[in-house]
Amino acid sequence: MKNTIFELQDIWYSYLSKFPALCGIDLRIEQGEKIALVGANGTGKTTLLQLLDGLIFPDKGIIKAFGTRLNEEFFNDHVSARSFRSRVGFVFQNPDVQLFCPTVKEDIVFGPLQLGLSRQEAGKRLNDICEQLNIGHLIERSPHQLSVGEKRKVAIATTLAISSEVMILDEPTAGLDPKTTRQIIDIILQANKKGSTIITATHDLHIIEEIADKIYCLGSNRKITRSGSSRELLKDRVFLEENNLVHVHSHAHRDAVHTHEHEHIDHHH
Amino acid sequence: MGALSFFKESIYAEECASRSGYLQYLDARIKVLIIFLMVLCVMLSKDIYAIFSLYLFCLLLSVSSKINILFFLKRTWVFIPLFSLFIALPAIFSIITPGEEIFGFGAAGFRLSITRQGLMSAGIFLIRVLTSVSFVILLTLTTRNTELLQALRIFKVPQLFVMTTGMCYRYIYLFVEIIENTYLAIKSRVGILLPHKKGRYIVAWNIGSLWQRSYYLNHAVYTAMLSRGYTGEPKALHEFKASVLDWLSLLAVLILITLVLYLGDTGI
Repeated sequence: MKNTIFELQDIWYSYLSKFPALCGIDLRIEQGEKIALVGANGTGKTTLLQLLDGLIFPDKGIIKAFGTRLNEEFFNDHVSARSFRSRVGFVFQNPDVQLFCPTVKEDIVFGPLQLGLSRQEAGKRLNDICEQLNIGHLIERSPHQLSVGEKRKVAIATTLAISSEVMILDEPTAGLDPKTTRQIIDIILQANKKGSTIITATHDLHIIEEIADKIYCLGSNRKITRSGSSRELLKDRVFLEENNLVHVHSHAHRDAVHTHEHEHIDHHH
Repeated sequence: MGALSFFKESIYAEECASRSGYLQYLDARIKVLIIFLMVLCVMLSKDIYAIFSLYLFCLLLSVSSKINILFFLKRTWVFIPLFSLFIALPAIFSIITPGEEIFGFGAAGFRLSITRQGLMSAGIFLIRVLTSVSFVILLTLTTRNTELLQALRIFKVPQLFVMTTGMCYRYIYLFVEIIENTYLAIKSRVGILLPHKKGRYIVAWNIGSLWQRSYYLNHAVYTAMLSRGYTGEPKALHEFKASVLDWLSLLAVLILITLVLYLGDTGI
């Protein structure tokens, strides 16, 4: 029997107490699962991910992680906070937010050192991750000297260095070229193969079938409007169109103009 | 454009710091200590020839560190006359430094003369500033900024300060990029020539917008730090390793400083 990683019961969250972001979310994520959160812009995907990572707390409802309720008191206790942070890693949508240290090397070891690893152990993690992701040539560079794809790889490396049981990724392939997108998918799949639970928020329907077995779709009512296996949900074109995930457009092939569905994929503008 | 020259300067400085020269080879902590001692020696030395010999030593170090001497001289001499000369200028006259007259002239009914002692004290001041600035510039050219920040820890600068400064340095680039893009976006829409009033309005708007962005980024970065286990006590990876050459260099500098101060004091 699989262990439950996250359990969310009737979660409500609003910004400044007047802009609702989530209105009654129920969710259960099991160990080793690959799940994707999809939905149009502004449906609360990022907010939900931040709640899962204990960065913000719900106005109403209960979030449990590894069987324990997540709230401010939980994170005020250093031992609990450290234990949670060493098990859950978060890859932010904007890598410039995540890479705040002067060099890539310092960024990768930041997490392990904060979580109490010795310098030797942190150094070993750094070497392992660099070898695994093939980013050894980047470690002395400053984040501003990296391309968008390199920044994303390094951002994932900073999370993997924590040795996370759970990887939460916010739009990991946004703005990337197809080759780098492929590399990122491979990294995510490799982490899942090693036992990590993968939770990804994305618009990129082309990658969903690979990075998720299960999809949760957030609607404009800021609730989960539908969930199911990725194969089954991706086949329902009417549902995808209703949720702004595909649209019908016309374009020309030489002289012939034709109309068909078009998926919202970030690397195919 | 200012933003581009900032990038060019920093890329050049990084390139200098990664050359395989003598100072680049030294441990950043020892290097900071050596430069600190040299500047201290320059400050304590009262003999102009002793300070001049230290300046020559600085030039020798820059050559051994594969820094182009003309570039180095340009970089150090550009600011020295500008600031120090104006400060030192009054000291050459008898009203500030009385003494043996070298040259005198009358102006507005009273006599003004340049004294030997005045020239000497102005000269010492100038060479002292020039040598100190040269040593500090040499340090910044031969050390990567990140290492330099970490090396400050030997002076017991708190880790929190070192880390915050490092983060500021990292995000300056992001903001410079934003400013540059904003400038290009304005240029693409309104052209380069703007009335002064409109120009001032755009600059003020840019400052406000940048402040808002930095405020947002500040919050976002803090959550990213929390997510990776930050609890308010930063820990960093220090990989400094002092070699025999580092210790020998430090010893040599200590001997040199003792000699310079001793010979300067005894007037040999």
